[in-house]
Amino acid sequence: MHLIEIQDLSFAYPQLAALQDISLHMDTGEALCLVGPNGCGKTTLLDHLIGAHSMQKGRIFFEGKDFRKLRTKELAKRIGYVPQSRRNTFPYRVLDFVLMGRTPYTGVFASPDENDRQIALDALEEIGILAFQDRIFTQLSGGERQLVILARALAQKTPLLLMDEPTAHLDFAHELMVLETIVKMIKTQNLSVMMATHFPNHAFYLQSNGVPTRVVMMKQGKILQIGQPDEVLTVPNIEKVFGVNSRILSIQNGQSGGMKTIVPVKTANQSERMIICDKIG
Amino acid sequence: MAPLEISQKKQSTQRILSVVFVLLPLVFIVITMFIGRYPVSAQMVIDTVWSKVTGIPVAVPDIAQTVVWDIRLPRAILGALVGGALAVSGASLQGLFHNPLVDSGILGVSSGAGFGAALGIILFDNVVMIYVLSFIFSLTAVFFSYLIGRIYSTVPNIMLVLGGVIVSSIFSALISFLKYVADPFDQLPTIVFWLMGSLANADYREISISLIPILVGTLGLFALRWRINVLSLGDKEARSLGLNTRVYKMAVVVCTTLATAGAVSVSGIIGWIGLVIPHIGRMIVGNDNRYLIPASMSIGACFLILIDNVGRMLTGSELPLSILTALVGGPFYVYLLKRTKGGGW
Repeated sequence: MHLIEIQDLSFAYPQLAALQDISLHMDTGEALCLVGPNGCGKTTLLDHLIGAHSMQKGRIFFEGKDFRKLRTKELAKRIGYVPQSRRNTFPYRVLDFVLMGRTPYTGVFASPDENDRQIALDALEEIGILAFQDRIFTQLSGGERQLVILARALAQKTPLLLMDEPTAHLDFAHELMVLETIVKMIKTQNLSVMMATHFPNHAFYLQSNGVPTRVVMMKQGKILQIGQPDEVLTVPNIEKVFGVNSRILSIQNGQSGGMKTIVPVKTANQSERMIICDKIG
Repeated sequence: MAPLEISQKKQSTQRILSVVFVLLPLVFIVITMFIGRYPVSAQMVIDTVWSKVTGIPVAVPDIAQTVVWDIRLPRAILGALVGGALAVSGASLQGLFHNPLVDSGILGVSSGAGFGAALGIILFDNVVMIYVLSFIFSLTAVFFSYLIGRIYSTVPNIMLVLGGVIVSSIFSALISFLKYVADPFDQLPTIVFWLMGSLANADYREISISLIPILVGTLGLFALRWRINVLSLGDKEARSLGLNTRVYKMAVVVCTTLATAGAVSVSGIIGWIGLVIPHIGRMIVGNDNRYLIPASMSIGACFLILIDNVGRMLTGSELPLSILTALVGGPFYVYLLKRTKGGGW
């Protein structure tokens, strides 16, 4: 039985087919990277898994259970969600923000109790940001906020985490810090992560750090290919999906051996670029 | 560990604050019994209260007893109820829409109530009918706002707010129409005064009429206060944290509507409280709705009692409340902003 299994999932916005016949599965301890250009359906797919869209066609199973039979609260005990780093919220204290991860475990009219508080503190400690607990969420830097959101996801205690561009808008160092934390979470908490990313290199990063990783390459709502990073992230595929000519380099890296990295060289010819813009628009 | 200690210290501060917030409105109510333009000595006030509570007659003139027990006291209680209800509704809706500019009337409650009251004044000239119509139309207004918000299946917040703006402006137009057709010597001034808010009619009947919707609404919001934190993260995140956003959003809207409608139907439209009291609350207890909701209730209650006392003491005739809430509250708010530098906005 797979942790999650998606069968023939299709979804259309009023004027736009967003997902077409998506079928995939993932297992415990695995990282699945959704890779593809803007508007290819990554976010729509993740939204289905947090129950933000009513399903139009297809089925999703979580550990064999039909998704439609899971209530929002039950779903939230199984699947956590890490959005892009954000600021547009009230200036909550960090600890209070992390406590919100305990929502699925609190009664309708209840507030989190001492036990929830301890779990939230443990989550902050696990991520290594216990010292942030009394700071104001909105006054943190983008990268720090993202670590807090990861702590909230940990406090939610779900076997599966969905991440939507978890490193968007972050600088070099914070991007790496978030990735390192994700690797640590997968390894120590036996978590599985499904991650939409604009950076195909993230798949190589996770793989070279010992996380079993697969890549789902998407284009215009369809899955082009699923497989190991090496198999999917190839020069022809990158050109096909992103319209970018690229090189793939191997870097020697002390302990973990080699790590591959994609270097975009130039966009494909002008006419093809026009087509891509059209489709995004 | 140092951060933990800070955290615990904060908790104990918050506990002290909770006690203060519970006691303060009671103190304001008691003080109100002692002040007013009609001279009643402190001893007479105490004797009156003693006599009313124990049933033992005392040598206080009837008129003084009436002033203390049937005018000042119900007025203070109603002020506490109305002020608390408006402030807590404003705080909740600001949280729900994660927008600090929202107030308790954003979904059309106030303009609906205004229309209902104006209609009651013109058609019936009966106080109870004014309350009833005003209550019914404030619920109607929010219902229509919600319907407009539902044009998209998920009731996005922005659509709900837009629905409220549309419905409010329609009811404002209808109020203008009723003012236009009203008898200019008798009905028109009544409508105008009602729209500026007043507790001058307060007695135990007004309290009993407004008590149930206000209690149901505020207790509901008090119970939901933690969930309002989560709702303020937006639909998608709230859902991913296990909240059925449609149900909880509806619950918050229903509670704020009941509380606000119960308040404005007896007091008329009192501006400013639903917008600014929550901000004053934030400056004192922070943004966590677990503390902000009860704090807003308490501060709103005290503020309205205070304003009402000023309103009835300042001049021979009573000043409408909306004038004073803004005149007193505005500068005070600026002062607080200056002191706290906005607290993280």
